[in-house]
Amino acid sequence: MSKQYLTAHTVDQAHPTEVFSLAPTVHGLLSASGSSTLCFHNTSEPSFPLQQKITNAHKLGCHHVATSRGGLGSVAASVGFGGEIKIWKRKDDSGGWELWWEVAPTKTNGGDVWAIALSADENYLACTTSDGRIHVWDLVARERIQTYETGSSTGGGSFAMAVDLSQNGKLTASGHESGAVYVFNNDAGRIAYSLSGLAKPVRAVAFSPGCKRLAAAGNAGVIAIYDMEHGEHVGNLPAPTSRPAWVTSLDWNETGEYLLSGSLDGKVKVWDVARGACVATHSETEDAIWSVRWLPKSDRVLAPGMSKGEMFCAAGASRSLSFYREATGT
Amino acid sequence: MYSITTRSRNRLAAVPPSAPSSSPSPVPSSSSLSSLSSPDFNLQPSSLVLVPPSGRHGGALSQIEEMFETIVDSLAIGEELTIPYRAARSGGDPSSQSQDRRSEYVRFPGRNIHEAQRFEAIFRILELSHEALLSGNLITKRNIYYQNIDLYKSQGMVDELVDNIAYTLGVGREDLNIVAAARGLIFGPISLIMRGGDALQCGLPTDNGILLPSIYSVESVELNEVKWLLVIEKEATFRTLAASQYPRRCPIGPGVLVTAKGFPDLATRRFLSILHNARPQLTMFALVDYDPHGIAILRTYKTGSKRLEHEENVTVPGLRWLGIRSSDVLAVTDGERLQSSYSSQNISGQESTGSFQDGSHDRRPNKRPRLQRRNPGNSATLLTQGDRKKAVEVMKDIYANGEADDSTREQFGELQRMLMLNIKAEIQAVDDFGDITNWLDEALCRN
Repeated sequence: MSKQYLTAHTVDQAHPTEVFSLAPTVHGLLSASGSSTLCFHNTSEPSFPLQQKITNAHKLGCHHVATSRGGLGSVAASVGFGGEIKIWKRKDDSGGWELWWEVAPTKTNGGDVWAIALSADENYLACTTSDGRIHVWDLVARERIQTYETGSSTGGGSFAMAVDLSQNGKLTASGHESGAVYVFNNDAGRIAYSLSGLAKPVRAVAFSPGCKRLAAAGNAGVIAIYDMEHGEHVGNLPAPTSRPAWVTSLDWNETGEYLLSGSLDGKVKVWDVARGACVATHSETEDAIWSVRWLPKSDRVLAPGMSKGEMFCAAGASRSLSFYREATGT
Repeated sequence: MYSITTRSRNRLAAVPPSAPSSSPSPVPSSSSLSSLSSPDFNLQPSSLVLVPPSGRHGGALSQIEEMFETIVDSLAIGEELTIPYRAARSGGDPSSQSQDRRSEYVRFPGRNIHEAQRFEAIFRILELSHEALLSGNLITKRNIYYQNIDLYKSQGMVDELVDNIAYTLGVGREDLNIVAAARGLIFGPISLIMRGGDALQCGLPTDNGILLPSIYSVESVELNEVKWLLVIEKEATFRTLAASQYPRRCPIGPGVLVTAKGFPDLATRRFLSILHNARPQLTMFALVDYDPHGIAILRTYKTGSKRLEHEENVTVPGLRWLGIRSSDVLAVTDGERLQSSYSSQNISGQESTGSFQDGSHDRRPNKRPRLQRRNPGNSATLLTQGDRKKAVEVMKDIYANGEADDSTREQFGELQRMLMLNIKAEIQAVDDFGDITNWLDEALCRN
């Protein structure tokens, strides 16, 4: 059974340059691009109006922005191309984002910071570096509490291009240029699994909401699914062509049934994970997709008669934000 | 000092590029060139570009002599000897720099042995420059180094001293009659008329590139009918194109190839800059690797480098970035090819200028399948940590300069995209088993 998603709205030219990253909250969506400004669009209204522009956030542009999966949406973090991390906070759901504090590029011990992930309780931030380390910061104490090394003791690990924190807070996963995927046990502070299966650079890792599965994908073009109880590779979501496009972004829906993927050829796909099948494909653009995210379910009603179906957003080289909603009712 | 500089600059501008030449008719190259030029060639002096003389020698010469006089005076009264000397610095406020340009000195005997040695080295270079200026000859930095290897310790030391002396005097390095040994190569159906009267033909079919002389030893450039000039980062690509006579066979008309074999040297940059100023209609393109260094090279040609900020006539603001970009790297040739919407019509409009010589106009198919954008080809490789740092450095440089024109924005965006994709590719990525001409044809037509 395929599912149908319809274009709900497109914010054209949301940014003056390519959109590199998206981070949803319950009622809004942060987007980061090659420009210095972060945008926050209201996702509760049918026209998805721009609610806040955070100007001069990152002077060289911003490649990653993160909110917590399943969190309140009161904290966000962003990383600029200059290597600086900024932590943003807002007092309540209607308030604007304000800079909370900042991690200078020099405070990360060598390698440049790349990907980031926020814990569900919004207290911890994991960030990866170009020399293969994963640092974990305590956001309230403003200190680094953990560093996972993936290379030799002298550093020199493979560039960590992706990171995620499990919603139960127990695990950290990293995806590397070498194709390696590592899972760390946060309580023990050491590596839990070293996962094989993808021989090419890994651009996205994502824990399922129940923390039972980990999805990883990248230049290999296939999405590998791993079991987190035993660290086993349980299957691949197959790519239909002989030379599948690089997968740039992954996101699980709230029930953990469906996985959203975006790729360099402009395609956005929804996968039924249990059946291992692609149930929807969107290819409105040939421009690279850099980020795809489900919007957390809310009681939003976008139009009269429209249900509270699931929605997702995709963005990339087209500079636009494309919102899709599930087609419901027959 | 400044009045001299200004005057000479005005003089450069005052020479109309198309001024009728009083120089001997530059067709000693007749055998190969006559077929390129129209019969009424002599009535069209517009293909001849006069190279304005550097014209600032007087400034450098008198300043050096002034220094020598000061030294002699000091000797006479037994004072410490001094030579003004300032290191060209990157960044900073240019206006404050010019104010205290003369505020630093190297002394003899100085505070320590190093300063004494430095004094001697600078003095020797000034002496050689003085001699070269008087005789009108050019001296190479390599030559200076070999005059006294023990004194200078390294070639790099000579390079630094020469650049800083030029900076201190407020002149260009070539105004000291000091040049770098020729590194650039040029190839194409043009000829350079040297100040001695000789003509240097750059496009002999038996050649695949000749060393680019200092622009100041060139009196004029006979451009014939060339329509474009392409600066290539890689010597290998340059040689291949030259050997295949691409400058004559290009569908948009004849052109010229230039390479500085990697990072551009001052002589090549100055040659292009002066030619660009004298003949803005000649479109100049750059073909560089898709990596942070390639973009840095492009920017050096276009907007200059920090270390040699004090040099004049070294930029080509109108230089166009031909490639290669992420879109070239992301194109794949396998899989579904789509027939091109790009027809031969674009080319045929200009074909008359493209066919010359014996009429054996190249018969490469004009149609070429449009490439589907997908994954980077196999020729793309991963960025190293050093590449990533370099990319950020170039981005910071662009940001600090506050450049906001379209071409700079494009460079900025491509650097970001490069970091996101985490790949780089060499020029060879766009070739077809070593043959880059198909790609070049299309890229030149498109631009």
